[in-house]
Amino acid sequence: MLRTTIAPGPAPTVFLAGEMDLDCADTLREAVAEAARGAQTVVLDFADVKFIDSSGTGIFVRLSLDMKSQGTPLVARNLSPAVKGVFDMLRVRDLVGDEVFPD
Amino acid sequence: MADQAADPPASLQVFRYLAGDDTVRAVIGEVEAGLPLEDLVAHATEALKSERFMCFAVSQSGGFVADELCFVPQGDRCDILSIRTNGWQRHHGDHRRSLVEILNNMAAAVACGKLRILDETEVVQDARAGTQLLHFVIDDSASLTAAREAVDVVLQESDVDDLTRQRTILCISEAVTNMLLHGGGQGSMTLRRLDDRLRVVVADDGPGMNFLNWIGPPTKKGQASMGYGFQIILDYLDAVGLRTGRTGTTLLLDRKTD
Repeated sequence: MLRTTIAPGPAPTVFLAGEMDLDCADTLREAVAEAARGAQTVVLDFADVKFIDSSGTGIFVRLSLDMKSQGTPLVARNLSPAVKGVFDMLRVRDLVGDEVFPD
Repeated sequence: MADQAADPPASLQVFRYLAGDDTVRAVIGEVEAGLPLEDLVAHATEALKSERFMCFAVSQSGGFVADELCFVPQGDRCDILSIRTNGWQRHHGDHRRSLVEILNNMAAAVACGKLRILDETEVVQDARAGTQLLHFVIDDSASLTAAREAVDVVLQESDVDDLTRQRTILCISEAVTNMLLHGGGQGSMTLRRLDDRLRVVVADDGPGMNFLNWIGPPTKKGQASMGYGFQIILDYLDAVGLRTGRTGTTLLLDRKTD
């Protein structure tokens, strides 16, 4: 199960915790939509994501592309080792753009 | 460009030739009328004799589409993989893998021995080999999480290094997710211990692998498959067995432990 906590601000951050699999879409989209109100960008913090698979990755990629097209791009920070391994394997940086990973 | 409304979808069929036979039988799909059996037997015989993997691109009318026929010699039998592209979904124009790429990767995995296509007898035998350690009925993401966590505990007790353990859990998640999304929505996951390996058996009674499901439109879950799940499984595990047909799909995922 994915859990989210939002830290508001000019560049709001959505802290993600738990697991990102086929069931995380609604939770992630709702949190990002809430954080994005009036914001120019939304930061996703992956530090406490313990597990992610290709479904969770696909949801993130789709959401990232959608948010970019809507003018509120996502930024991904603090990738946990589990997330970094899968993102590297699936070449997520190539899919969503280098600007999503400023670290 | 093929008429996507009229042409059959892209697909993978697997036929099997046994040395000395005068025909082939279907392992995935069906032996359809009009299949050039004599040609298939001749090429399979040649592949067995030369002990070499052979692949042919078969031109179709219109010049754009091509079927691919791969002959994979395996001892006294030759598996014949027929990939029909029909111009379908060659590229999506987004982040998802092309169906043709997925099917070609599967053919390559069979050719290099990583992926075994199983018939009914083989899958029954191999799915019962060794000692059962865990068994889960899986019908939602919560039961998938429970299964992942239980396998994780067993792997931690099996002297498997952390990276291997994480990758194995990832592969199980990919297989079970495919089952939930495309295999009828429910099935089972069983963990078994064999002499030199752990084997995860993921089985469902769904409609069989329909490769178009892998690249279909977004589901109610809110996302479309990226098409990477099966490739992750093939990349990270030591051996994979596959049986799929109209009565369901079974995947055998092997991780060596010695």
